[in-house]
Amino acid sequence: MQRGLLEEIKRGETVLEARGITKRFPGVVANDHIDFEIRAGEIHAVLGENGAGKTTLMNILFGLLQPDEGEIYIGGKRVKFRSPLDAIDLGIGMVHQHRKLVPAHTVIENIVLGHPRAGKILNLRRAEEEVRELAERYGFKVDLRAKVWQLSEGEKQAVEILKTLYRGAKVLILDEPTSALTPPETKKLLASIEAMAGDELAVVPFITHKLPIVLALSDRVTVLRRGKVVACLETKHATEKDLAKKMVGREVIFRIERAKVERGKPILQVENLSALSDKGFLALKGVSFSIHEGEIFGIAGISGNGQRELAEVLAGLRKAEGGKVIFDGKDITHASILERWQLGIGYIPSERVEMGSIGDFSLVENVMMNFYFDDNFSERGILNYRKMRKLTEEIVSEYGVAAPSPDIKAKNLSGGNLQRLILARVLSRRPRLVIANLPAQGLDVGATEFVRNKLVEAKKQKAGVLLISEDLDEILSLSDWVAPIYEGEFMGIIPGEEADRESVGAMMAGLHLKGDEGHEDR
Amino acid sequence: MRIGSYELKFERRVAVAGWEAAIISALAIIFALILFSIIFILDDINPLLAYREIFSYAFINPYGLPLTINRFIFLLLCTSAFIIPFRAGLWNIGMTGQLYIGALSAFAVLFAFGGKEFRAELAPGILIPLMLIAAAVGGAVIGAIAGFLKGKLNTNEIVVTMMLNFVAFWLVAHMIKEGGPFMNPGGRGESFELPPSVYAPLIMGIPFTLFLALGIAVLLYFMFAKTQIGYQIKAYGHSPAAARYAGISTVKIPLLVFIMGGIVAGLAGYHYFAAVPGVYKISRNYGYFGDLAFYGIICGLISLGNPLAAIPVALLFGGLSIGGRLVQGKLSMSFGVDYALLGVLMITLVAFQFFYRYKIVWVKTREEKRLDVGVYR
Repeated sequence: MQRGLLEEIKRGETVLEARGITKRFPGVVANDHIDFEIRAGEIHAVLGENGAGKTTLMNILFGLLQPDEGEIYIGGKRVKFRSPLDAIDLGIGMVHQHRKLVPAHTVIENIVLGHPRAGKILNLRRAEEEVRELAERYGFKVDLRAKVWQLSEGEKQAVEILKTLYRGAKVLILDEPTSALTPPETKKLLASIEAMAGDELAVVPFITHKLPIVLALSDRVTVLRRGKVVACLETKHATEKDLAKKMVGREVIFRIERAKVERGKPILQVENLSALSDKGFLALKGVSFSIHEGEIFGIAGISGNGQRELAEVLAGLRKAEGGKVIFDGKDITHASILERWQLGIGYIPSERVEMGSIGDFSLVENVMMNFYFDDNFSERGILNYRKMRKLTEEIVSEYGVAAPSPDIKAKNLSGGNLQRLILARVLSRRPRLVIANLPAQGLDVGATEFVRNKLVEAKKQKAGVLLISEDLDEILSLSDWVAPIYEGEFMGIIPGEEADRESVGAMMAGLHLKGDEGHEDR
Repeated sequence: MRIGSYELKFERRVAVAGWEAAIISALAIIFALILFSIIFILDDINPLLAYREIFSYAFINPYGLPLTINRFIFLLLCTSAFIIPFRAGLWNIGMTGQLYIGALSAFAVLFAFGGKEFRAELAPGILIPLMLIAAAVGGAVIGAIAGFLKGKLNTNEIVVTMMLNFVAFWLVAHMIKEGGPFMNPGGRGESFELPPSVYAPLIMGIPFTLFLALGIAVLLYFMFAKTQIGYQIKAYGHSPAAARYAGISTVKIPLLVFIMGGIVAGLAGYHYFAAVPGVYKISRNYGYFGDLAFYGIICGLISLGNPLAAIPVALLFGGLSIGGRLVQGKLSMSFGVDYALLGVLMITLVAFQFFYRYKIVWVKTREEKRLDVGVYR
């Protein structure tokens, strides 16, 4: 093992270089002769749609996968990683999108876990001092003695970054670093990233969307499309439109025009609805609103303000603590989940992998999730798989799910394709009411545009849509009504044309500006 | 591993076809037998001879074959009883208890109709179906306890079924030992004997329960492949959260699979104690058959929860346990050879499942690749 290749590295020098990296999986070339280079002290963003090959490249750089062809050089020396351990020893650190921490342990215990110096006897005090120093230097505020389960997403991420730094990483790969963070957390993270780059560390964030962040933060950007590098440029020469075009391969329209649809009769009426969170406190504190045919009702807010609870109560997954839900004039407050599907409520959950799909099921079986109870697809308890397969083939092509066959397992789909499949499955039931919780979160530019268009299409077909999103632009451009939510309460219900960024943003932060007088009368 | 300019690599399989799985299993069995020949060789026994004895006794010999088949029926029922909850992601460790209660229930029917009387003349057309139903209901009731607790309170089903095994074991003891209502008039610590009038019908010397066991396996296969309920069980098994989202009741499914598992295990109890020629009573060593039920778990795991694949697996295990016991006596080997043989087979089969996920490929490495300056440990 040759440690210390990066010990003497100076700002601007190449720390890591990959040449001609090629990786094939059955049926796809995930990486096609990729050249990639990182210098010390730079923030080098890697952009690409879901399935563009970012994750594969990153896994190769981190030693999780071995490339079929190509070479990796660290500090100018050719290396070969047999496992992530080799990569870590050479100073490459990676923070995954999905947290890999032990929830029941404290922060410091998680950080020293697996550290070579931890050995058999833990010297937590010394480790704590060293980690605290690191944390202060880069502006991470975490209580090292807290248990990990008590932390917010942003804090957990900070723990992962600290852990990697404590292992001596000189190159820090971050997978979708901002996707699970609230705006204030994102701001803090960006400051920390800049501080790290100031210390000769190379930081490589992998990002699928949020182009403004890339523009504001990075020094250079590499764009991947379909496994190939399509551009590598200095960020100061790049524009948002240009990057999006390179990523998607065509012009992208960032704004969707609010479709004009005549408002029909009310579909959903919610009266004073409240619900408990998983931890047992009142997360939804008496909201009232109604959704009519052909309109999108947007709930704007930072996650954790009762949106998930609201969506789940409406979908029947969570008990209402108080209040009433009326659907098509019928009280469904206590209806079962299945009854709601049958009545025409379609729920698109934000937990796509855990709840919205079954990874080990084929695409056909996944689509079956919303049809197994349907008389059109079963006869006397026996399912008509042939018919289901036909429907799956249809919607897979209509919704542009990139899959070689409807028989592949859902876990082999990329995030964006999985969301397309879920959307396709729910919308092909032609629901009267669509509840979409963070439908475009974490999706690339192309898929985001697609999802939004499909929701507008549902609206045009006279469905009511409840759209829950953290993305203020998404809410403002799509919604007919905007309800900013804060700590389980609506701060008002504003007509979409009258809503502006500033006031909605302030209401999301807890300010009462306007009442909801207008909502019911119109 | 590298030989010359070729490199041996493990490559991930995307999916494994049925025939590939069959070939892998067959190779595993051959490998296990080769491995186990070491034991014979150490005992100065020609392994080929030993295996010929084992297989010919288990699968050809007119005395051995019926023993194999009876054990196979029993194992297949236990395997099915394991597989049903297994497909719902739940572990039924309680086939033992379920089959005890099944057997007790079947004997309770006899008891109620005066079957305790020596050689009582009973109507088989009524009593045999009643005994079967009783065995099924008995198994279902004790199975339902674990299913209900799992669905309603999320109690660990492994612990519950395991503990119910002890409850059932001692309940049987209470019923059949001295002073118990089902006590054999002659004492001996076993139950009263089945009146010959209600011996299970034999077809060519084989109890009809063979067709019951095979029928259940086929039915289960169909259920999982084609039906609504099978789909719901599988969905719950892969992801309870996703199943719930899709409107599948997370209370009903655990209850249902444990009731179904209990029914099948209860029938295994009927089979062994009321249908196998030469037994026809809850024997003193009933604990031995209870332990045998645990092979249902192994057969279920080896067949990856596929009820049809369980058929050959259960047949093999049944046969080898019979044949193994024979060679142990015949070739005067030490005690436990049959169990050791099953153990080796089991480990090899499980180890070979590695090849369900990976295949070995030879890759020609390019010359320059071997000139790496890089990092090797």
